[in-house]
Amino acid sequence: MNLDEVDSKIENWEPKIIAFLCNWCSYAGADLAGISRIQYPPNVRVIRVPCSGRVDPFFIIKSLQAGADGVLVSGCHPGDCHYLTGNYFARRRFTILKNILEYIGIEEGRVNFSWVSAAEGEKFATVIKEVTESVKALGPAKRLIKRFNYRKL
Amino acid sequence: MEEKVISREKVVTFIDTLIGKYYVFAPVKKKDFISFDEVKSGNEVYLGYRNSKDSPKRFLFPQSEVMLRYEKGRLIEEGPFDYGKRVIFGIRPCDIKGFSLLNKVFDNHDFRDPYFITKRDSIILIGMGCREPQTTCFCTSLGIDPGSSDGADLFITDIGNKYVFQILTSKGEGIISEYDGFNDAEKADLDMKEKVSEDAKERIRTKVEISGLKEKLDGMFEDPFWSDLHEKCIGCAICTYLCPTCHCFDIEDETVNDKGVRRRNWDSCMFPLFTLHTSGHNPRESGKERMRQRIMHKFNYFVSYWGDTACVGCGRCIINCPVNMDLRKVINNINHG
Amino acid sequence: MEIVERIREEARKALEEKKVELIIGFEEGSLPLRTTPAFIKSIDAVERLIWNATCENNLANYLLRLKIKGKVGIVAKGCDARSIINAIKERQIERDMVFIIGVPCTGMVDRKGIKERFDEAEILEAIEVNGQIKVKGERFEGSFNISDFLYDSCKTCTQKTPSLYDVIVGDEVKEREDVDEFREIREFEKKSPDERWAYFTREIESCIRCYACRNVCPLCYCKECFIDQSRPQWFGRSIDESDRMIFHIIRVFHTAGRCVDCGACERACPMGIDLRKLTKKVEKDVVELYNYKAGIDLETVPPLATYKEDDPQEFIK
Repeated sequence: MNLDEVDSKIENWEPKIIAFLCNWCSYAGADLAGISRIQYPPNVRVIRVPCSGRVDPFFIIKSLQAGADGVLVSGCHPGDCHYLTGNYFARRRFTILKNILEYIGIEEGRVNFSWVSAAEGEKFATVIKEVTESVKALGPAKRLIKRFNYRKL
Repeated sequence: MEEKVISREKVVTFIDTLIGKYYVFAPVKKKDFISFDEVKSGNEVYLGYRNSKDSPKRFLFPQSEVMLRYEKGRLIEEGPFDYGKRVIFGIRPCDIKGFSLLNKVFDNHDFRDPYFITKRDSIILIGMGCREPQTTCFCTSLGIDPGSSDGADLFITDIGNKYVFQILTSKGEGIISEYDGFNDAEKADLDMKEKVSEDAKERIRTKVEISGLKEKLDGMFEDPFWSDLHEKCIGCAICTYLCPTCHCFDIEDETVNDKGVRRRNWDSCMFPLFTLHTSGHNPRESGKERMRQRIMHKFNYFVSYWGDTACVGCGRCIINCPVNMDLRKVINNINHG
Repeated sequence: MEIVERIREEARKALEEKKVELIIGFEEGSLPLRTTPAFIKSIDAVERLIWNATCENNLANYLLRLKIKGKVGIVAKGCDARSIINAIKERQIERDMVFIIGVPCTGMVDRKGIKERFDEAEILEAIEVNGQIKVKGERFEGSFNISDFLYDSCKTCTQKTPSLYDVIVGDEVKEREDVDEFREIREFEKKSPDERWAYFTREIESCIRCYACRNVCPLCYCKECFIDQSRPQWFGRSIDESDRMIFHIIRVFHTAGRCVDCGACERACPMGIDLRKLTKKVEKDVVELYNYKAGIDLETVPPLATYKEDDPQEFIK
């Protein structure tokens, strides 16, 4: 049985989404969402990073290789970066990377980006809802996952 | 030894017969080159080829091979895994010689590699003599005859309208008996076969002087020759990965979450990482040392260990080098410089 | 005077005046339709230098790869010069440590394309006469206009005359303004994600991970490539589809705003992988999004080393 078959057999499949949140804005935004008891889907696994500028394309691609169904990178709004310009540089890198990934055939909606400030608990919940829904609509990730096809030579 | 003949058309049916019983790998056209690949029908096979782009060594020594599988730190399954009975159809004499050189490394008095041996023992080699060697071919300089059946289970010679099948082993015999379209070879066929291999041999005009090369290299480790030689080499692994005799590998554990495999991947002496120590020290620091290693290993160290040269004269490294580094020239320069 | 004579003259002068330690150029190759990089260190060796439509290697690679002490002379086509500009910009070499003999280039001949014309038959001899390549095999002969058999990267080239040089040999070549260099990419973008994925998986399937595309590239000068890192080991070195694909994705990402489309990667690939389909896409995005072309001048800041407050960001929620 290969992985494709395994995936399709799983009933009530729920996507796994990795979220890289910047320490100063989006992570605090997630906190606020929690404190304010705003409901959002439990599909995200949060990884706290100092700045969206810290998010190397490796992180995103490695997540996809390790089996994440979706990725979200979230940072401070432009102009609000704790380190002044980290998110500006990141934005250019993400643009290029997202374009490459979609160009080779990774479905639009697998890799997502957002700006969420520390005051936007409500927005954080909305973003997570949107991302979860879009990834759910795409179904389990199949591309770029490492399969360990050890029988095939 | 026994010889059979079969008409050109029937060879396709013969391959089709084999496909039901074995995994059959044969030369197929891919983009602008020929490569050995699994065929599902005899019609896919392209027998008018000179030689394949990549060496068929990967059937015995795959580029990436899983050795074992583990989960949560516990062994789940250990290789060598069974890849079934495989037939390599149409392999050239130089590449068969390559197999025998690999055999020296992977199956000897000190060391028997089960991964290699399992595959070797389950493989049936149907060799095919060359009709039109290329100008980059210099197998005869290495003592290989483009019509030589050494090491094959069956050996095919294309004599125009027919193929002569030479039966060399019981495995070969078994394969022939799978199909009833063969006739006994007549004298005219055998004469033609002789002529074809003589012609092929004749056509290989590139000569490289190998005798005395080992001795010459013995004293050349510190020679200034190496400091210029590598200059144009960009340090990729085309020459070593396409080579039928290069056999270096690297073993690594690949873990994702709590599952993983131990894998053996090809490695190349042309990469700096090949000899990089954990300390950060690299005994083969620059292209100079790496190029020297490649040449020395083929024409000196290998000769010392195994009494044979680790080159079969297939010319793949020459044809495919992006900067036109020509091994024939290198050898000539060593001989005359 | 012919270009080759002028290259030799400049090389001789530079070596005589001890302006440079060595000259990197091209010499006769060992196969038809091939030349090979030459490292000329003495005046006697200058005669080895040649110039023709098969001088396809991007020599800028060697400025970064070889640890040469002292000043180096280099024969540079338009694309080589763009790569040199890149290397200077990225602080890998100093402008005054390189003596550029610029050669206006009319494009390099696609040897694979010519070979394909004769199927499996081997070309034994090839000579270049007046913009034509005459080839001979055992049972055939043929003659081709070089301009009909240029590499794809040469067909869409917009910088044939080097934009940076110390001396220039030969007359400036008129740059084409009518080329639509991204036409193919736009066509490809119209396909569905499934079709594109199928295309790339099929291409990547033959990758043997020899890293010729990386090593031949004048951009890939990292002391340690990401794919060789082992602490942590980010990505595997196997020939799994995923590992192979990721190597190519990240390689091409690293060329963003830097690739000059010299086509060296695609020419080096022994398995004929359509690598320019990837690099050209990134080049296109950089032009369209940040209005930047690599290797044109020494001043403009590379696109990923800068930003604008109003950079496009429609995709960010």
